[in-house]
Amino acid sequence: MSYDFLETVLFALLTIGIVGGAVGVVFLNRITGAALLMAFTFLCNAGMFVLLGAETIAAFQVLIYVGAITVLILYGVMFTPQQHRPYALFFQKQTPWAALFVAPIAIFVALFAFSFRDSAHPTPRGGDLVPLATSVFKDFAFPFEVASVLLLAAMIGAIVLVKRDEDE
Amino acid sequence: MNIPVGAFIAVSSILFFLGVTGVLVRRNAVVILMCVELMLNAANLALVAFSRRAGSVDERGSVFVVFVFVIAAAEVAVGLAIVLAAYRNRPTVDVDEVHAMKG
Repeated sequence: MSYDFLETVLFALLTIGIVGGAVGVVFLNRITGAALLMAFTFLCNAGMFVLLGAETIAAFQVLIYVGAITVLILYGVMFTPQQHRPYALFFQKQTPWAALFVAPIAIFVALFAFSFRDSAHPTPRGGDLVPLATSVFKDFAFPFEVASVLLLAAMIGAIVLVKRDEDE
Repeated sequence: MNIPVGAFIAVSSILFFLGVTGVLVRRNAVVILMCVELMLNAANLALVAFSRRAGSVDERGSVFVVFVFVIAAAEVAVGLAIVLAAYRNRPTVDVDEVHAMKG
């Protein structure tokens, strides 16, 4: 008995999760709900990575996005409380322009995306961690160091930006 | 039945355009940051989908995704620092109202 249908079922479920979560982030007025749906989108994206055969990237996705970035966003939501505003999402002046800009390009890109006919079946080789780590630390060692410097600069910049002015 | 790479690209593009719509339509600065993260996730998904070739997963797509992770995390940290600093100045995160430098 072949279990090949499972891949399609999983792909469909993950797609529903990703698109539903993203629609919730964009259109929900409750910020906390939007943040949690964003975390759900990240989780479904990690599932997509597993489906594509990149398990290490899926683990990093859960660690970094669901773990760290969601918490950061929730901190931002927590520290910036807003008055309860009336629901005016679709009647802002830039909404028709946004729709005009996004819709034609989106339709074109969707048609272009479905025109790909390449279908790959990754053979299990014991995971993708060893080639990934070898590649990062051998071929991409310089970008790795640059990324470390960028993280340091971002950390210092964030601390400086939120530092309170000392009253002399 | 294997899933063609175009299906993954379609999902990635839908996610990306939802993120673009969110950035253009929403007024809350934190929600705009969330939609930028959606766009970065769409790019990651497209990268990993394209790195999958017949017989193996090309690791260079995953390497690039690791660097996108790093940059996304740094960007969220600095972006939220800016939002918090602006909120301390005047207690609003509405991007329509933060226009002291305009014109």
